Amino acid sequence: MTSSSTVGRPGFAWAVPAAVFFGLFALVPLLLVVVLSFTRWNGIGSPRFAGLENWDKLLDDPVMVNSLWLSLLLTVLGVVVQTPISILLGVWAAGHQRNRAVLSAIYFVPLLLSITAVSVLWRAVLDPNFGVPSQATWLFGDGNLLGVRAGAIGVLVFVSTWQFTPLHTLIYQGAARAVPRVLYQAAQIDGAGTVRQFFHITLPQLRNSIVTSMILMVVGGLTTFDTVLILTQGGPGTDTTNSAYYMYQKGFKSFDFGAASAIALLLVLVATLVSLVMVRLTGYDKMRSTMEGV
Amino acid sequence: MQRHTRLLRTTVVGGAALAMTLSLAACGGSGASAGKEQDKIHILVYGDATNKVEKQLVDTFNKTSDVKAVLDTIPGADYQTKLQTVISGKQAPDLFFNWGGGSIKPYVDAGLLMPLDGLIEKDPRLKSDFLPSVFNTAVVDGKPYGIPMRGTQPVLMFHNKKVLKDAGVSVPRTWDELLTTVKTLKSKGVTPIALGGGDKWPTQMWFQYLYDRVAGPELFAKAAGGDKNAWASPDSKKALGMLRELVDAGAFGTNYDSVKFTDGGSPALLATGKAAFELMGSWEYSTLKDAHPDFVKSDLGYGTFPTVTGGKGDPANLAGNTNNYYSVLKSTKHPDAVAAFLKLMYSDGFVKSQLGIGNLPTTTNTALFLADADNPEYSKYQYDLVAKAPAFQLSWDQAYPPAAATTIYTAVQQFFNGQSDADAFIAAMQSLPAA
Repeated sequence: MTSSSTVGRPGFAWAVPAAVFFGLFALVPLLLVVVLSFTRWNGIGSPRFAGLENWDKLLDDPVMVNSLWLSLLLTVLGVVVQTPISILLGVWAAGHQRNRAVLSAIYFVPLLLSITAVSVLWRAVLDPNFGVPSQATWLFGDGNLLGVRAGAIGVLVFVSTWQFTPLHTLIYQGAARAVPRVLYQAAQIDGAGTVRQFFHITLPQLRNSIVTSMILMVVGGLTTFDTVLILTQGGPGTDTTNSAYYMYQKGFKSFDFGAASAIALLLVLVATLVSLVMVRLTGYDKMRSTMEGV
Repeated sequence: MQRHTRLLRTTVVGGAALAMTLSLAACGGSGASAGKEQDKIHILVYGDATNKVEKQLVDTFNKTSDVKAVLDTIPGADYQTKLQTVISGKQAPDLFFNWGGGSIKPYVDAGLLMPLDGLIEKDPRLKSDFLPSVFNTAVVDGKPYGIPMRGTQPVLMFHNKKVLKDAGVSVPRTWDELLTTVKTLKSKGVTPIALGGGDKWPTQMWFQYLYDRVAGPELFAKAAGGDKNAWASPDSKKALGMLRELVDAGAFGTNYDSVKFTDGGSPALLATGKAAFELMGSWEYSTLKDAHPDFVKSDLGYGTFPTVTGGKGDPANLAGNTNNYYSVLKSTKHPDAVAAFLKLMYSDGFVKSQLGIGNLPTTTNTALFLADADNPEYSKYQYDLVAKAPAFQLSWDQAYPPAAATTIYTAVQQFFNGQSDADAFIAAMQSLPAA
């Protein structure tokens, strides 16, 4: 590394406070969880070493396998549903339309509410006998949304979308505003319409933001927990028991901290793997910039 | 109110997944608390409205005792988790609230609890002043580990008098009558029975009662004791068949798994006349009184679970939460103070204050004070049921150790909604650890 490339860049010492906190509150607990995953412990007394027992059981456990698939499904559905909506909303909100500020403020509200409150709210709205479904039977039938697999998954995806789209919209709004105006001016001169401008200028320029937003969605999707806890409690049966909820169940309902730790680690592994693949596929690791001269 | 014992499992615990790592990290940590702890006993209880009475008790006790009692309350949703984490450490309470049965078994197994037969020998009233069916729930491996406190909560069959009248049916006394009633109500466009299937434990109530009526309490006792054949017995299959028939007859409608008791969904069905019955713990009364006072005044009826013709169980048997219990830590430094505090559990003052806030204690002298109850008629009805019950089945999820609850809930829900059949239910129940 030449000396010129380090000019004006902070030295390693700047990272020490953050590194210490990260080590203390992320790495140390993670190591403890690794150790716990090889023990049998119900929270009383000391953990007993159990070798690979937890791992053995987990890999044969149909609920565990299913929970991983479900975590991935919720993630994919979340990305597929939220990305187009938030790109369109974000790009729109970056413009200068009339009433734009007022409308933007309104749809940012869900982001300000706690996910717990949001889940409780939707649970009430979707009550089959007293909520919206009872008034719109042509659409909802008997309203048994949370009692069947497809319905329950649909509700989970919908509620997460309702809550988190504003966050991603915010990201895209900022990114869309950073797109150099000259590009649009040039395109206009060449006779490109709004739609062409969107696909040929805006979207490519949003590339890095899309990756950022999708990584956030993936991490959020894989660790979805609150909505499951409040809306479905993993049911019907085990149909919405995703890995994060299964970990909670094992740990705090069954007091089987060994198994819960193993699930937690498995989730860490899967999440790491998924983000690595994403970073590779999108070329995010190359740190390429779309801005000129950087 | 111990209806919160139910809420415990369903109440919101934000960020608990994250808390997992944090609480694990905190386990090795300090237990430094200020002040002289040597001359104190700590009493850990579930935090709710009943704490009012417990605070009074502690104050009364402290007036005369040299060893002072300290009441620690943990908000309901965190109680079980907190207890589990402190019980083996330096902050372990001397006395703590629990549900008896399987809920204390892990602590007994770990050698943390004091068998109470020694205390009872010195003070026989600690046993003889309580209703036997209730006292016995906290007996583990033949030894008593809990003294009843707070109130009993049998599960009852509630109904909407107006709906039954409009449909021209009377309260069904037998299972067959129930099936006929269901058909009639359905033809009138009413959901015959409200069920908060989303909470899962209300669904379990149907299983534990019907099993008791069909096979008697022995089947579950055997099964919980580790005899896996009990679940595959003809009686077990018969009970499952009867449940299937009831569900298939449309008794609960089709969307019960989207309905919850804890958010007021199923009680509202009953109160608004959209449903005719609900099988629920005795806390249903106060729940409805809060949310639908007019309905309670005019149209709320209650009774027992229907009898099953030819069934082995006594029709007077009950199921539900027998009571809550105080258990004593083996390592307590002040066994005498603990014994003195436990004596309060059969005192007249205790019984009166519990009745005053709507709880129904299970001491043998409770009957003398029923007139002081929040609703004397309802309390008396319950008390007579409990006093005369030959057997009182503790809710399955509490009779088994905590580790079993999730499996039970899933099995129960899947069988009810048709995701699994009798064989799958039996296999799931056979996989449970012995209580």
